[in-house]
Amino acid sequence: MTLALVLGAALALACVLFVARPFLLDPEAKNDELDEPTAQERRRLELLERRDRALAALKEVEFDHRSGKISDEDYRGLVGALRRQAAEALRALEPTERSRMRNLEPPTQPDIPEPYPPPGELDPPTHPDIPEPYPPPGETEPPAPPQIPEPYPGTEPQV
Amino acid sequence: MAELGRAALVICLGLSVYAAAAGAYAAYRGRRRLSLSARNALIASFVAAVVAVLVLVAAFLRNDFGFTYVAEHSSRRLPALYTFSALWGGQEGSLLFWLLILTGFAAAAVLLNRRSAPDLVAWVVPVLGGVAIFFSFMLVAVSSPFDTQPAPVDGAGLNPSLQNLHMLIHPVLLYLGYVGLTIPFAFGMGSLLAKRGDERWIVATRRWTLAAWGFLGIGQLIGAHWAYVEVGWGGYYAWDPVENAAFMPWLVSTAFLHSVMVQEKKGMLRIWNMLLVAGGFVLALFGTFLTRSGILSSIHSFTESPLGGWFLGFIAIVIAFSLALIFLRLPLLRTKTKLDSLASREASFLYNNLLLVAFSLTILWGVLYPILSEAVTGQRNHVSGPYYNFFLHVFGLPLLLLMGIGPLLAWRKTSLRTLARTWAWPAAVSLVVGAILLALGAGSSIPGLIAYTFSAFVIVSIVVEFVRGTRARKAVAGESWPTAFSSLVARNRRRYGGYVIHAAIVLLAIGIAGSSAYDTTREAKLRPGQSMEIRGYTLTYRRLVQRESENAREVRALVDVRRGTSSEGTLSAGKNNYPVERQVSNEVAIRSNLVTGEDVYLIAQQVETDGTVFFKAEVLPLVNLIWLAGFIFIGGTLIALWPDARESRRLADRYGYAAARA
Repeated sequence: MTLALVLGAALALACVLFVARPFLLDPEAKNDELDEPTAQERRRLELLERRDRALAALKEVEFDHRSGKISDEDYRGLVGALRRQAAEALRALEPTERSRMRNLEPPTQPDIPEPYPPPGELDPPTHPDIPEPYPPPGETEPPAPPQIPEPYPGTEPQV
Repeated sequence: MAELGRAALVICLGLSVYAAAAGAYAAYRGRRRLSLSARNALIASFVAAVVAVLVLVAAFLRNDFGFTYVAEHSSRRLPALYTFSALWGGQEGSLLFWLLILTGFAAAAVLLNRRSAPDLVAWVVPVLGGVAIFFSFMLVAVSSPFDTQPAPVDGAGLNPSLQNLHMLIHPVLLYLGYVGLTIPFAFGMGSLLAKRGDERWIVATRRWTLAAWGFLGIGQLIGAHWAYVEVGWGGYYAWDPVENAAFMPWLVSTAFLHSVMVQEKKGMLRIWNMLLVAGGFVLALFGTFLTRSGILSSIHSFTESPLGGWFLGFIAIVIAFSLALIFLRLPLLRTKTKLDSLASREASFLYNNLLLVAFSLTILWGVLYPILSEAVTGQRNHVSGPYYNFFLHVFGLPLLLLMGIGPLLAWRKTSLRTLARTWAWPAAVSLVVGAILLALGAGSSIPGLIAYTFSAFVIVSIVVEFVRGTRARKAVAGESWPTAFSSLVARNRRRYGGYVIHAAIVLLAIGIAGSSAYDTTREAKLRPGQSMEIRGYTLTYRRLVQRESENAREVRALVDVRRGTSSEGTLSAGKNNYPVERQVSNEVAIRSNLVTGEDVYLIAQQVETDGTVFFKAEVLPLVNLIWLAGFIFIGGTLIALWPDARESRRLADRYGYAAARA
């Protein structure tokens, strides 16, 4: 009985100390604000999701076309729309990325991944990551299928 | 030491209340340290639950019958191995086990996501704390495993049907599945509370959902095997309410795992996914309520049970909370994206969702109907196998076909000409298989014939998918066939892991169709030396033997099995008499042919004192494919779960801001 009570009290004390730890370690916190994303960060995340969705869809369409699940005609129709979506997302991201880079403090900069090419390279028509659609039928001989999009520097296509 | 167990549960309750209240206040007012403190409280509640469980395990190992729970679920003759089954064999112990897994999962989930989604975790903590309050409160105030009594000389023992290796694994897996569904629910609701319209919660819980779903699936399969080898009625699934209780959340989670891909790929079905994630959790709670409230035996025992009302109240609160939150956040969840075509991958996912949810709701109605009829008319009307089998055919067969059609469709749209080309092989092979089976006499069961034909379609479509994918990969990377195949799977584990799981479901369907639509049953009363015939087998009853085991008196009838002129060995079917528990169990004998997948299944239904035995024999074709499907299911789930470095890099890029500041 006594041992049980001692062990119970020890457990309670340990739990209280652990729960109070954030206050014990930092009793007079200069900043006690919860790290919530700003409106700009939320917007950026939304655009990143839109960009990733469009680029992933481009890969998917490319893969489905190669594996015979999408006809050439459907492929041409889909790839153009998806390229536009990806380009729009990349273009919309440009100002938020610039502003984000400006706002970053120098010491924290090395920790943040730098996944995007310099803003000048984001111009959709010349962006190397977005596959060029086939030219309209009859205009030229169909070229070799475009390279699978490479949305992230250093990563390989998923096919 | 019961005091320590009680103290640990009270501490766990206190910590859960703090995690919920302080966590909600901190998240609402944006208080960093208070939020961290609430998170620590949730983690500490796991430590308190571990202490409570250790106290109970120690009491079982010491045969401390001063603990009422130990005295009611163990005995001195109970083998030590089954002490662990006894831990969750009763109501109080199983609730404690629920709490242990819940707090353990909660601690792991918040720790794993604390850097990548701190603002989301701030809202997840109070939701998880709220669920932990309910279970710890039940254990402290309503149904404590630490009640004490003057110790009797020996305990009442454990239900003999639980004295089986399956029962060491089956309940654990089911609990891991049930409780695992709490995590996606908490992150989904946390995301709504945090007013986040992004998909961070899906990314955070993708593996939790898949793992919980996998545990539920394998747990049910092991439960079916337990029923097959231990309960001894000649089958593996009886549409029992307890079995249905685990099947319903599994079906809804299956729907969620598919529809969440549509949200990830196209940003659609956000409201639907929230409803599914809440539905899966509510059904998991409902399953626990069904098994623990006493309502299954009678609505009257439900009112006598201390748990029933509390569980029903908590389920009502969870439903009201989830629906209100989803309704409040509708503007955040609405999307403008629409379905491009009815012949697309996402459309096939939508069809499969409708079928899965409809199937789940019909099962729910079958479970509730006897209870409601008793409540209204005072008379219990049972819903039996034919009701469920009808809906299994109505919803299950189209679902089986969709498993073959879906992978052949492209995202967004597929033209009719392409469809004709991609379906050519699967359709041709399945029609040939169907025709051959019809010629061989499989038409005796139309649902069975359709199931086999559809299964052929799915298998061929999976093979075609792998071949086309490997060929495309080979063309892109210039790799050899084996390298191209392995890179194909490694680069898209969810997709190809999913196809392996589809293959497992097909094997399951073939096994179920074979063993339920084409089985043969014979019954005979035999004296030693007499024989019975069944589907080409001759079963000859030789003699009766008796022996004493550690905790039971065993009687076995030895039966020689012959097929034509060749001997197939001896079966030993009989009964075990457990003197402490005062119960008798059927011990069936099974002769498996691992080449054909067929089983000869023998039950000694009645053993007379003069040595006469009343036998029931069954031949179940292809039944072993059901168990084989389990291994393939595990393999597919592991492939889909396996971490992907490329995916991690991509997500670190997307959510990097949070990681960088944490």
